[in-house]
Amino acid sequence: MEFNWSLMLASYGTVFTPGVLFIICVGVTAGIIIGSLPGLTATMGVALLVPLTFGRPPLESLSMLLGIYCGAMYGGSISAILIRTPGTPAAAATVLEGYPMARRGEAGRAMSMALFASFFGGIVGALIMTFASPIVSAFALEFGPVEYFALAIFGLSVIVSISGRSLIKGMMAAFFGLLISSIGFDPISGFPRFTFGLMEMMEGPPFIPTLIGLFAVSEVFNEVQKTGQIQQIKATLNQYLPSWADIKYCFKHLCRSSVIGTFIGAIPGAGGDIAAFISYGQAKRTSKHPERFGHGEIEGLASSESANNACSGGAMIPLLSLGVPGDAVTAVLLGAFIIQGLQPGPMLYKEHIDIVYQIFASMMLAQFVMLFIGMAGIRLFAKVILVDRAILTPAIFVLSMVGAFAMRSNVFDVYTTLAFGILGYVMMRYDYPLSPILLALILGPMAEANLRRAMVISAGDPSILFSRPIAVVLMALAVVSLALSIKGQKKIEARLTEMEKELEEAVKE
Amino acid sequence: MKVADIFGGALGILIGAFAIWEGTKMPVDVVMKIGPSFFPNILGGLLIVFSAILIINALRGRSKGKVEPYRLSDKGTQRGLITLAAGIVFCIVLDPLGFIPTSIIFLTFMMWVMGKRSPLLIVVTPALITLAVWLVFEKVLSLSMPAGVLADYL
Repeated sequence: MEFNWSLMLASYGTVFTPGVLFIICVGVTAGIIIGSLPGLTATMGVALLVPLTFGRPPLESLSMLLGIYCGAMYGGSISAILIRTPGTPAAAATVLEGYPMARRGEAGRAMSMALFASFFGGIVGALIMTFASPIVSAFALEFGPVEYFALAIFGLSVIVSISGRSLIKGMMAAFFGLLISSIGFDPISGFPRFTFGLMEMMEGPPFIPTLIGLFAVSEVFNEVQKTGQIQQIKATLNQYLPSWADIKYCFKHLCRSSVIGTFIGAIPGAGGDIAAFISYGQAKRTSKHPERFGHGEIEGLASSESANNACSGGAMIPLLSLGVPGDAVTAVLLGAFIIQGLQPGPMLYKEHIDIVYQIFASMMLAQFVMLFIGMAGIRLFAKVILVDRAILTPAIFVLSMVGAFAMRSNVFDVYTTLAFGILGYVMMRYDYPLSPILLALILGPMAEANLRRAMVISAGDPSILFSRPIAVVLMALAVVSLALSIKGQKKIEARLTEMEKELEEAVKE
Repeated sequence: MKVADIFGGALGILIGAFAIWEGTKMPVDVVMKIGPSFFPNILGGLLIVFSAILIINALRGRSKGKVEPYRLSDKGTQRGLITLAAGIVFCIVLDPLGFIPTSIIFLTFMMWVMGKRSPLLIVVTPALITLAVWLVFEKVLSLSMPAGVLADYL
């Protein structure tokens, strides 16, 4: 598919109107606030605010959600630097460098670099997304059921292999999620499965309430049990942009980490936290001063922040062109697309090419908006992270329930949200990762429907699964990623404990 | 974590077994050989396999990580249970009582549970939050909230 320059320009024109810009500003501001509050992740923010887009036109809705996504990725660095708690998991690496800098009295320098790096990474991610997604989608037009089945399996295997300290629990979470996804009408014959005779279950568990439950309500149960005051470092925030010297010093890492971040984001299943840690590790290895890492090295901060923001652009590539989410947040976004009546995937380029280019444009503009709002509101955001938890936590619960109810005005959805909230809380407590469930809810139906379609084509002969080269490569990659993670499990565990220790030490000091 | 893992594994086996058992009641597809029960059967089977591995690992003392046991005397645990109860009550009364009263009562109660005692704060804030949420959903987005007892006034 040719890249359509005139449509691109026209889309910038459509997005660059006061109405849409205002919506992006609202989204970015909300995103920064959500991202900066520890415990409120980008996934949760988008899930909580999707209900606000019901009944709005697609461009407005998606622009706002993209704004939240980008804002939240940057917002995580604010609390990482000022209160040594990553606001989102993707900012965990930022804590290691950002907090020591703040303690040295360089909070302003760290914050401005975090903002600039986020902006830089976001721009790189959005650029690669703009030019890569049409190519991928043209490629994907050739995909048949076998390829889609293999793609779903690949996405699931990646999310399971990176989902934390126990591979077995990741597997259990994925298969449990897949079983949940098989609730409701069977995709081929329409037989209702596991509905317990409930009308509301016929179409499967409602997606948005399930998400809100898993990611927001579970956090409420978690949060109410905590005590203790947040201590903020005394910071002088007198710097809006990093100095030219700092930018030049980190430029190499900014470029490299942004590209790494985008590509990791584009792998279905791998998200911002992985992108940040890999880029951080890469920066440490290639730095002239690796010994300074962990003691407030601005290079490390720049690479982790640029990577996690670049990741959002990367994660949009498979979402838009294949209909497969690149990470947990884009999985939620997929739900928002479907609510708008848009099915991401190669057909989106055929049927709604205008909206695709408008998404490219609004993603790009969101980065500039983030830069300006980040600069203008830096002092305000530093205060927001101190908001009283005793007020915030109950309010999140109410907002979750309202959001779950709003889509279908159905009390059943409210109960679903609560049930998944309890499930999510219990799973988090006992170390079962939640993201595989989320991905399974999306990839499960895709895997099943395409597997069975393939079987219809081959009249029940399973060898069709190995008849297409792309599918074979994807399935081989799935096996490799699982095998590597089994082999590397000990290493990963050691790394994780080490990281946790570093984090804990940083917290104690 | 050992006991928790054994318990979690047992639960996984039960869920998997349930899925397979339900699958036996689904119609068989004669043409394609795989019907509605095909996918759930595989998933249920694999869930059982991994649950069993988790249990075996736990029995061999290879459980990973630690988890703080719940103590009823612990303030955090108490707050968690109270929140759970309050959440269930919230869902039950939301429709009959209506969003506005439910939300105000819930927020006031939860703020009190979480240690807020200033009367002004726990009276004014819940009302403001509820009003803001209601205005946004009901008036800006035209999504209806349960009116409940206030149905005649809204």
